[in-house]
Amino acid sequence: MVLHDSAMSTGSNSGSSSSSSSKPRLPPQQQDIDGLLPGAGYKVRSSELRKVAQQLERLETATVNSLADSSQLSSDATHSYYNPSDITSWVDSLLSEFAQPPTCPSEFIMDPVTNKTAIKNAWTSNEHHMPQVHQNISYEQQSLNHQLTVVTAMEEDSGIMLVHMLMTCAECVQRGDLSLATSLIDDMQGLLTRVNTVCGIGKVAGHFIDALSRRIFQGIGGVFINGGSGYENEILYHHFYEACPYLKFAHFTANQAILEALDGHDCVHVVDFNLMHGLQWPALIQALALRPGGPPVLRLTGIGPPSPDGRDSLREIGFRLAELARSVNVHFAFRGVAASRLEDFKPWMLQVNPKEAVAVNSIMQLHRLLGSDSTGNSTIETFLSWIRSLNPKIMTVVEQEANHNQPGFLDRFTEALHYYSTMFDSLEACTVQTEKALAEIYIQREITNVVSCEGSARVERHEPLAKWRARLSGAGLRPLHLGSSAFKQASMLLTLFSAEGYSVEENEGCLTLGWHSHPLIAASAWHALPDAAGDVPGV
Amino acid sequence: MAGSNEVNLNESKRVVPLNTWVLISNFKLAYNLQRRPDGTFNRDLSEFLDRKVSANINPVDGVFSFDHVDGATGLLNRVYQPSSQNEAQWGIVDLEKPLSTTEIVPVIVFFHGGSFTHSSANSAIYDTFCRRLVSICKAVVVSVNYRRSPEHGYPCAYDDGWAALKWVKSRTWLQSGKDSKVYVYLAGDSSGGNIAHHVAVRAAEADVEVLGNILLHPMFGGQMRTESEKRLDGKYFVTLQDRDWYWRAYLPEGEDRDHPACNPFGPRGRSLEGLKFPKSLVVVAGLDLIQDWQLAYVTGLDKSGQKVKLLFLEKATIGFYFLPNNDHFYCLMEEIKNFVNSNC
Repeated sequence: MVLHDSAMSTGSNSGSSSSSSSKPRLPPQQQDIDGLLPGAGYKVRSSELRKVAQQLERLETATVNSLADSSQLSSDATHSYYNPSDITSWVDSLLSEFAQPPTCPSEFIMDPVTNKTAIKNAWTSNEHHMPQVHQNISYEQQSLNHQLTVVTAMEEDSGIMLVHMLMTCAECVQRGDLSLATSLIDDMQGLLTRVNTVCGIGKVAGHFIDALSRRIFQGIGGVFINGGSGYENEILYHHFYEACPYLKFAHFTANQAILEALDGHDCVHVVDFNLMHGLQWPALIQALALRPGGPPVLRLTGIGPPSPDGRDSLREIGFRLAELARSVNVHFAFRGVAASRLEDFKPWMLQVNPKEAVAVNSIMQLHRLLGSDSTGNSTIETFLSWIRSLNPKIMTVVEQEANHNQPGFLDRFTEALHYYSTMFDSLEACTVQTEKALAEIYIQREITNVVSCEGSARVERHEPLAKWRARLSGAGLRPLHLGSSAFKQASMLLTLFSAEGYSVEENEGCLTLGWHSHPLIAASAWHALPDAAGDVPGV
Repeated sequence: MAGSNEVNLNESKRVVPLNTWVLISNFKLAYNLQRRPDGTFNRDLSEFLDRKVSANINPVDGVFSFDHVDGATGLLNRVYQPSSQNEAQWGIVDLEKPLSTTEIVPVIVFFHGGSFTHSSANSAIYDTFCRRLVSICKAVVVSVNYRRSPEHGYPCAYDDGWAALKWVKSRTWLQSGKDSKVYVYLAGDSSGGNIAHHVAVRAAEADVEVLGNILLHPMFGGQMRTESEKRLDGKYFVTLQDRDWYWRAYLPEGEDRDHPACNPFGPRGRSLEGLKFPKSLVVVAGLDLIQDWQLAYVTGLDKSGQKVKLLFLEKATIGFYFLPNNDHFYCLMEEIKNFVNSNC
């Protein structure tokens, strides 16, 4: 005897139940968190649910497509894929541990995190060249307030005029006519009040006007803008990472190339020229863990600036990466090297084992070496030659695709204006206001350095891909083609993380990411051909 | 790959609340990553991604829990009980006294789902579900951490279920009522429902009394493709392809889905006529692609002369009971409460 009991109701949100086991009690500041998902082990803000759902959808589409493709490509045995969907959880877990986003943009100075114990082999370098640290906070707060002034009427004519005046001002600066330049600054400040500074030309113009002012009034000697506190820089970098896909693209593309190049090697040593939060590495560690045939023994050497406030952030990050590696059964060792200038880092500090396959990873670092040192010798050439002497199986190079190192100031200024306008445009797609605001400050610092610094203080010496090709070839490195799998995965990444408008292009075996076919960042891979004479690496 | 490459996301979004959709989609995608096409399973990744919670001897919302591990077999059971009225007793487990000498306190042996492959007794979703069961039904729940496929296929899950049942029946501190016996019900969702059925068969054959079976969209199947499977393939989180994968992982090598573990009333099945089988409550979600097999199961029980009640929830998807944000959840809980408290 079968009793039927059909309940025909739609899945609607029910009110409070009669049982005691309904919503958990929440502390007041967490009231935005969905009340039911924590019981399932997940914390999500209710306001974020829709976005999370969207990303899940995109993930699904991307994985379905990639699984379909990979079955066709499975004959290509050397290419091991790592799934871009892995990145979200790894990056999220790593970032959520480090990220302490401020509640409003002007409060981005945080107390340093207390040092955690981690007995790892961290070699520190005592630097005699201390950067001059200028706490330019009040200045930046000022310009922030400036930016947040919303003017409802957008005057297109004023916008065009602004650009005109900026160019004229830059030309005056080049000629040395500082009084005219000064009055132009005043006029431009005035014009800014009549233009929408929240987006578009008004916003980026504001930054360039500030940079020009700084150059005119504070002079070009010794003002090292990027000397803000290490913690501050990390926060800005992190928000830049989140707000737009440039860094993710860099990490992703580099990791895929490294993974392929290290295939078949059991002992690998990855050198990262700028560790930051180590955001690039969880995905690689996991991909190595999933490698058919098992993971290699992995050593990671991470270089970063010394932490001034008694923290040892390199060690902290190394520790976390080690925990992560352990959880996926990858033998892992980390060494942190604190150096305030990349050129102070010497090859012997790596202690490369001859049996190791070396991968060198440089994300937006090489351009810093393009200012010649005091003796007039070429720092970059020396540096590249010792990289070559390491016999790396691969060197991944990601650089801004721009010509910001021209000798003539006006040329540099013009180029920067175009480049950063495009970059700011792309940032408009970011919907999270805190991320966007802090990412803009990150970019603003670059602009300031390009425009208002000279000599050794000017570190943002971006050069285009063609020039890097010449330099790297000249140093004895040979290009490795970033294959179609990298291209496909970069495109997949864009679908997952970004708005419409970003484009990945292939340029003779290198990949560029840009906004509306204006490339902004270029990734390439290189390797050293083994010498017949057999260089001794690392000496 | 037929139609399964099409991702019909909009339909599932229309019938479940957003947070449920996010939760179940997340599981679906994570599970996709863990299953390998060659039939192996990435257990390390699976364990890493599964959110787990520890037991808590101190009552939270009126329920406390503790784990018991069998020394010989390593089988873990997590026991959930309503907290004592007497606050002084909180944080203490008394293994000498029965649950009650006057009232009957049902003990529900619960087998979590996960298609025989995923989840554990200490997975957050199941820990939360068991706690809700305790609160609403005023029962004790024992959640069994059975061994999973593909590492441990048929019949390990049934063996572990049977061992857990015997353990529960022999605990004096789980006894209640004037007769001082353990009033046991078997329950499970998805693969857990399948396990509950097979353990109940074993119990009936060994004359071990089970008072009732609660099967929450139990996992059954068969070699042929039913109408519901064809109609709903890929539409509400589940695909035929993944169902096939899990059966291949659980059933012995070379077997097909008409194996009696998968298809108990199929061509290789057996009638339960004459067996002292417990009454059953079978819950079928109307948007579950394997509902035809579940309905066939109900028919099979009925034809064997066994007592069965079908609760058909037309607009429910799998996993509707993980979050108490829909009517199906409350309807289900009410049914279960009545089922275990009917004292028949």
